[in-house]
Amino acid sequence: MDPLYAPLAAAVEGVVSTPDQLTAEHLTNYGRIFHWTPRFVVRPRSAADVVALVGFARTHRLSLTTRGMAHSQSQLAINRDGILVDMTSMDGIGAVDTQALTVDVEAGVVWRDLVHHLKRFDLVPRVLTNNLGVTVGGTLAMAGIGVASFKHGSQGDNVVEMDVVTGDGKISTCSPSASPELFWGAIAGLGAFGVITRARLQLRRMKAMTRTYYLLYDDLRVFLDDARMAMDSGRFDHLESWGAPCAQGTRPVGGVRQVFAKWLYPFHLTVEYDPGDEPDDAALLAGLTPYDNVYTDDAPTMDFLERMVPVFELWKKAGTWEFMHPWVECILPWETAADCIEQVLQDTPPGIQVGGHVLLWPAKGATSRSRNFMRPEGENLVGFGLLPAVPQKFWDDVKERFANVSRLMLAFGAKRYLSGWIDFTPDDWKEHFGARWDELTVLKRRFDPDGVLNPGFLPFEAPRGAPASRP
Amino acid sequence: MAIPFGSVAWAEALSAEINCSSEYRNAAARWGDGFNGNVLLVFDADTAMPRRAVLFVELARGACGGASFVDDPSDARAGFALRGPFSVWKDILDRKTLAATAILTGRLKIEGDRMTLLKHTAAHRALIACAAAIETDYPA
Repeated sequence: MDPLYAPLAAAVEGVVSTPDQLTAEHLTNYGRIFHWTPRFVVRPRSAADVVALVGFARTHRLSLTTRGMAHSQSQLAINRDGILVDMTSMDGIGAVDTQALTVDVEAGVVWRDLVHHLKRFDLVPRVLTNNLGVTVGGTLAMAGIGVASFKHGSQGDNVVEMDVVTGDGKISTCSPSASPELFWGAIAGLGAFGVITRARLQLRRMKAMTRTYYLLYDDLRVFLDDARMAMDSGRFDHLESWGAPCAQGTRPVGGVRQVFAKWLYPFHLTVEYDPGDEPDDAALLAGLTPYDNVYTDDAPTMDFLERMVPVFELWKKAGTWEFMHPWVECILPWETAADCIEQVLQDTPPGIQVGGHVLLWPAKGATSRSRNFMRPEGENLVGFGLLPAVPQKFWDDVKERFANVSRLMLAFGAKRYLSGWIDFTPDDWKEHFGARWDELTVLKRRFDPDGVLNPGFLPFEAPRGAPASRP
Repeated sequence: MAIPFGSVAWAEALSAEINCSSEYRNAAARWGDGFNGNVLLVFDADTAMPRRAVLFVELARGACGGASFVDDPSDARAGFALRGPFSVWKDILDRKTLAATAILTGRLKIEGDRMTLLKHTAAHRALIACAAAIETDYPA
């Protein structure tokens, strides 16, 4: 028996597990690129448990890593030789304020559960990720972007206040006006400065139905022009788009034949409405110039929010959910977006659609106030991501190509979205955060003086005596 | 039969390889269209090759107008230069390293408008593939 098991179990009300009790799931994340074994996994029962865990980690020089649904793909949500805190045990949904349009939730609440809870109030979070099977704490620590982000920013921009347990073992309530350094440190802070235990989320009224126009573009630049028009028009509640390959056979690439595609661009534009107040299709689509208007879909808004479920189910049935997921996502300046996307997609085989996809999302830079969610300057931005599923045996063959995709994005002025596969050097990290890096270093020393929280991803200089390996 | 690297015959072989490459013709259809697409490939001396070699390649709209080894590593006829130690080039031509990796990580230095070069990644890759296709006798 591990000598620290008994004192750890005595320190918390939650459940403590040791490696012999873990499933393979606890050793990795959705990326399945890194496999680390923690010394303990703890399912805390309360914020007090989290405070106790941080204190225990400091006392015993153990690292502490937070984990929600572990949808990230780099060295996040996994821990080596320390304490992995499985926050999904803190899944309480608290009071809904129907006047202020807010709800209090524990950090381990899964967005899907919250959405279904709020349905009875006809309320919904202002921004939802495409995958609802992730936790509130997880996406707030990343930023959290979705098809309404062009209007409402990231999920982190829609938090009224939070409770955060910092690395010095204190719990604080913070907001954009109260302890803003901690608040904006924790939002998109990758768990480096504190553990979010509770959040009060801003909500909005939800209409019962959605109408989605499935437009198709055969020209990237025409699509981007229309995407900007759709954002600026204020007509739509949700905008979502992809790159869709039309396979063309094989051609030499660097002298070696591979399957290639002509890329098309589906663009889904959605409005919410109440029955009896159906949208005016002609007015909504006026001025847009798609190659084809493929389909118009009316669906309950709840179905719209769950629209990706059949896709994910297919990936699970096909087995690709278990593949490696070196997702490469970024936010591009509008001015270079088309050139970058064309360069990347010309080399992207259509097979990327097997268990993955290519995402495009038009965005507005000013919708986010987040200090850690880095994006390029400019009013209009374009999110772009290659989201592949790679069989483990092919990883060595394709790793360099995906690394080059990331490098090319950066060369075109992009900022990476950090939930994906990040292979940054320390200099890359500094370039990513720019002037914010020095501020983050100060925040780290202030809020996590012993360097116990979520090590292994952001390359902070470890303080003397920081947990590095099992004692 | 292997052609000595740095020889007139090697440069001519590269020109011929480019002009019979459908990959290059397609990938570089817009390279040099409205700008100077001529390229210098500068193979800097290192332990693997004692003397610098500079290859000038005339390129426009998917075709090669000629290639020759020259003395001037800043030949004014070129719109772009890719410069790096010979050992880096050798790894690329031996397909041990992707040219894109070398360019994007700075192991090969770019001279000329970087953004223009980045907008034509397939063209450079196809050019390198043509060079790699030549059976070459490298310096020992």
